[in-house]
Amino acid sequence: MIDDAKLAVLTDDELAKHPFDELVIALQQTVQRLEAGSTGLEESIELYKQGLRLHSACEARLKKAELAITELGRRGVTGAEPDEA
Amino acid sequence: MADQPTLWDQPDEQAAPAAPRPTPRILRVTDLNRRVRSLLDADSILADVWVEGEVSQPSFPPSGHCFFTLKDANSQVRAALFREELARAVVRPEHGMNVIIHGRVRAYEPQGVYQLYVESITPAGAGDLHARYEALRRELAAAGLFDDSRKRPIPRWPRRIGVVTSPVGAVWRDITNVLRRRYPLVELVFSPSVVQGATAAPAVVRALQRLYAQDGIDTVILARGGGSLEDLWCFNDERVVRAVSDAPVPIIVGVGHESDTTLADFAADLRAPTPSAAAELATPDGTQLPTILGRLRDRATAALLGRAADQRRFVEAEQRALVRLSPDIGAARQRTADLIDRGGRALDDRLDRRRMLLAASHDALRTLSPTATLERGYAVARRPDGRILRDATSVNAGDPLQVILARGTVETRVEKTNGDGTEDLFK
Repeated sequence: MIDDAKLAVLTDDELAKHPFDELVIALQQTVQRLEAGSTGLEESIELYKQGLRLHSACEARLKKAELAITELGRRGVTGAEPDEA
Repeated sequence: MADQPTLWDQPDEQAAPAAPRPTPRILRVTDLNRRVRSLLDADSILADVWVEGEVSQPSFPPSGHCFFTLKDANSQVRAALFREELARAVVRPEHGMNVIIHGRVRAYEPQGVYQLYVESITPAGAGDLHARYEALRRELAAAGLFDDSRKRPIPRWPRRIGVVTSPVGAVWRDITNVLRRRYPLVELVFSPSVVQGATAAPAVVRALQRLYAQDGIDTVILARGGGSLEDLWCFNDERVVRAVSDAPVPIIVGVGHESDTTLADFAADLRAPTPSAAAELATPDGTQLPTILGRLRDRATAALLGRAADQRRFVEAEQRALVRLSPDIGAARQRTADLIDRGGRALDDRLDRRRMLLAASHDALRTLSPTATLERGYAVARRPDGRILRDATSVNAGDPLQVILARGTVETRVEKTNGDGTEDLFK
């Protein structure tokens, strides 16, 4: 998971390499903490900046997403024609 | 040869009156066989027959076809099972196997034999396919394989999805197309398999197990396009059904069309009506993600704006308190002079710290002025007591509100409130 400590040390590029779902959840949690209103002004500003970074990372991931496909086994063995086994 | 009369171009009526005793008509072998063939072809029963018998001496020449003899205690008939039908067959003919064959009878002219051309072949004895399906369904249901309590939820944000289907045909292409459009953030792990014919069941089981051995698969999809009951038969094979129910992660089965329900469907955590639907059920709708992300960002901005307004009220209150305290400060200064004389400066220091704190708050406030945000189109709703409105449930219809805009304010009343703010972000 992505927590405040991790966010503080990660560069934007490193952040954008995280799994998309982790980024969204971190963004969601950041927004919820801001909305709870229990943070001081300084901390709220930090949270807000953090939210903007997470939002940019999510958008970057979405923009360059390309379906990755890994194939197991060999076609020759597992092709559509019935084998003679 | 060509000018010899044939069976077809010299009808009886023309030849009959010529001689009192008709000369026997000589047929060529080809004509004979053709006549027999046309007789058989004209028979509607032979064109669509069901025959039960025992398979004898099947041969599998390199052509990919299969030839065998079908017999019972008294008779036998030759049977031909061509490659395409063989690939779709539920069973592979074996010597001694009792089968029910559906097909047609035709003459094979070059050899002057008639044979049974097989369209489908199913094992006899255990009854027809439907009966076997029902029997296995009851058995596996009794064993608990189809219990609702075994169904696991499908992960909402999958990172890796395993797919078992045929590498040829439309299904694999449909699945990748759906995911490219819908959620290209996912990685597909493709484990191809034969999905019809007698070899399909063990092949599907192997393909599933290859996926199960992989790390980090969140969801498995087992898919196949539509077809006849025989085509889809391997998804009713006990080995396949058990492999589906043994899946270590949630598995979605999408076989055939809406109306086809195989036993593998029952054993799956989720049944999809089609392969494309399986791909959709396995992923969130990525086309909605930019909107969802934008909404989160807007909420963060609104929350920060509210925080800044709170802070301003706090500082204003501090200021008023300070003004009220000013006479005391003057008096304190007098006393301080005395205290300094005695070497004590503590109180002054405390006042200085307080002023510095106030100055710092002012600076922070300037950098956070809501004006810029208001200028972008946001508004702040305030209640008569001056408190900022954040929660629709804290006001009622008819309550007065003041809406602060970038320029000027609007006095208004609540018409209606919607939502309580507890809705899930991603629904």
